[in-house]
Amino acid sequence: MTPFLHINGIRKTYGDVVATDHVELSIAEGEFMTFLGPSGSGKSTTLYILAGFQDPTSGDIKLRGQSILQTPSHKRNIGMVFQRYTLFPHLTVGENVAFPLRVRRMGQSEVAEKVKRALALVRLDGFEDRMPAKMSGGQQQRVALARALVYDPPVLLMDEPLSALDKKLREEIQFEIRRIHQETGVTILYVTHDQEEALRLSDRIAIFNKGKIEQVGTGPELYANPATHFVADFIGDSAFLAGELAGVAEGRAGLRFADGSTVAAVPLHGRGIAGQAAELMLRPERIELSPEPGPEGASLPVTVEDLTFLGNNTTVSARTGWGGALSVRLNFGHPLSARIARGDRLHIRWAPEAAHAFVRG
Amino acid sequence: MFSAATRRGSGLGFAMSAILLLAAFFVIPVVFLLTRSVTEPQLGLQNYAALVGSTTYAKVFFNTFLVAGVVTLVTVLIAFPVAWALAIMPGRWASVVFAIILLSMWTNLLARTYAWMVLLQQTGLINRMLKAIGLIDQPLQLTNNLIGVTIGMVYIMLPFMILPLMGVIKKIDPAILQAAALCGATKWQALTRVLVPLAAPGIASGALMVFVMSLGYYVTPSLLGGTANMMLAELIAQQVQSLVNWGMGGAAAFLLLLVTLGLYAVQLRFFEPKEGR
Repeated sequence: MTPFLHINGIRKTYGDVVATDHVELSIAEGEFMTFLGPSGSGKSTTLYILAGFQDPTSGDIKLRGQSILQTPSHKRNIGMVFQRYTLFPHLTVGENVAFPLRVRRMGQSEVAEKVKRALALVRLDGFEDRMPAKMSGGQQQRVALARALVYDPPVLLMDEPLSALDKKLREEIQFEIRRIHQETGVTILYVTHDQEEALRLSDRIAIFNKGKIEQVGTGPELYANPATHFVADFIGDSAFLAGELAGVAEGRAGLRFADGSTVAAVPLHGRGIAGQAAELMLRPERIELSPEPGPEGASLPVTVEDLTFLGNNTTVSARTGWGGALSVRLNFGHPLSARIARGDRLHIRWAPEAAHAFVRG
Repeated sequence: MFSAATRRGSGLGFAMSAILLLAAFFVIPVVFLLTRSVTEPQLGLQNYAALVGSTTYAKVFFNTFLVAGVVTLVTVLIAFPVAWALAIMPGRWASVVFAIILLSMWTNLLARTYAWMVLLQQTGLINRMLKAIGLIDQPLQLTNNLIGVTIGMVYIMLPFMILPLMGVIKKIDPAILQAAALCGATKWQALTRVLVPLAAPGIASGALMVFVMSLGYYVTPSLLGGTANMMLAELIAQQVQSLVNWGMGGAAAFLLLLVTLGLYAVQLRFFEPKEGR
C-alpha cells in the first residue's frame, strides 16, 4: 500500500554542509508526527522542503503516491503555522483567515461561513474585526492555526509554533492543538526541540540528529527502547556509565567497569565484541536504591553524594565505585528518603529490561 | 550620566535653536514674498487672479502637475523592485548597489542633466541604438519637450523613492510572504495583497517627497524641457529674474507652497503610522 505521505531519501546540502542526509519516513493519514531534535539537526530543513521553500538536492516527497516537488508552494495546498507570528498585520483577524479563500476566488457567503467555522475551531468566535497587533501571542498563533486550516489542507506543518510563548500558555495551546487534531483529523507534521512537547502531542516521533533520523517510534517506544545513545540521551534523563563489553550473546551483553565490577544480560544496541568500549544507560526513575545488593549482574554499589528535594520526589546524586555519576529518584514518602544522608554506601538495582547498553564510537 | 529630564531639556534647547533658524531664514522671507505678491504693483489679489485666470499660466500649472504626477508614478514603479531587491540581497551586494545609488545622487545635478541631454538628443546614444536595432527609422524627439523632462527627473528622483521604500520593505518579515505563498497566493497576489499594502507608508512618503520636489524643480525642466514647455519654477524664475515682477513671482511661489502644505496634510492624515503598530 502506498503511504499517505512518503519522504523518500531527502538529502539537502549547502556547499559542503549537509543539512539533511537521506531522510526516509512514511506518515499515515491523520497521524500526528513530530520531528524532534536539537537546532541544526535537519528537522526544519525537512519541513521547509515539504512546504516548497527549499528544493532538496536529491530524493522525493510523495503525497498519496504523487510527487509534490514540482508543485510550487502556493499550489501545494499545504497548511503551515510558523515559529514567528506571520499574520498579515494590515488585515483583521477575519480577513487573515479569509485570505487563503479569497486568493482561491471563493464566493463571499462560503468564505464567511468557513471563516466563522475556522475561528470557532480555535475558540476565537467573535474576534473577526480585531487587528492582530491587538492580540496576545497565543491568540495570534491560534488565528494562524485557523488560517492554515480554513482551506482543509491534507497536511498541516507546524514549525516550533509555541517557542515564543511562555510555559503556561504553551501547555494550554498544546492541549488545543491536540483537540483540533482530533476534531479535524488533519495529518500534522510538527517540529520542536522540546521533548516534553513532542511526547505530549505526538502519535509518533522522529528523532533528528545531524541531518539524519536516528529513530522513529511512539513516545513510550522511544523511551523504553532507545536505539542509540543520542535517543536515550535526548528523551528523558539518563545516566551513562562508561565501561567495556565483557561478553555478547543473543542481543544481550555483560559489561565490566574500571573497578572490576560487572553487570550482566543488558539489552545491547549496536554490534559489539568483547573488549570494546561501551556504556550502560540507566533511567533515574527505573533504578531502585536499597541498603542490600540486588540480584547478581543487575546491581552496583554506590555512594550518596547529594540529595535534592523537588516536591514530588527527592533526587539522589550518587557515584559508583569507579566514580561514574548517576541519579535516582525517590518518590515523596519513600521510606528511604528520610533515612539516607550524604556519604551513605548503598546499592542500586534494576529490572533487566530497564538498562540498555550502547557500543561507543 | 544625564537624567532623562536634563536630556529632554537640552533636546528642547536644540529644537528651539532650529526653530529660530527656520523662522529667520524661511518663515520671514516667505512672509515678505507673500506681502509683495499682494502689494505689487498695487494692493490686491490681481497677481493671483492673473495666475488663475490666464490660459498661459494654466498651461504652466498643467505641465507642472502632469510632469510631477507622471514622474512620481514612474519612480514608484521603478523604485519598488529596486528597493525590494536591495532589501533581500546579501548584505555585501546590497551595500555596493546602495553606494552606486548614493554616488549618482551626490554627483552634481547639472552634470547629470547635461549627461541626459547628450544621451537623449537626436544624434544621442539612445536614438542611435534604437536605430541600430531597427526599432525606429527617424530619431525620436526626446529633448526640448516634457518626455525629456520626465526621463531626466525620474532618474534624479529615484533615490528619494528607493530610500523610504527600502526602510519599510526591510521591516517586513520574509516569513509573512512564505505564509502568503502557502496560503495559496501567487507571486502577483502576494505582491498586491500583502507586500504593497505593507509598504504603503513608504510609498506614500516617497511619493510625497518626489511629487513635491518635482513641482518646484528648476534645473532639469529648463535644460531638457525647452522654452515652449514651461513649468512653475521656470515661471517664477522668469518673472523675478527677467521681468523683475516680484508680485507675480511671489504669487506663483506662494501657490506652490500652499499646494505642498496641502499634500503634506493629506499624507499626515492618511499614512502616519497608526498607534499600536
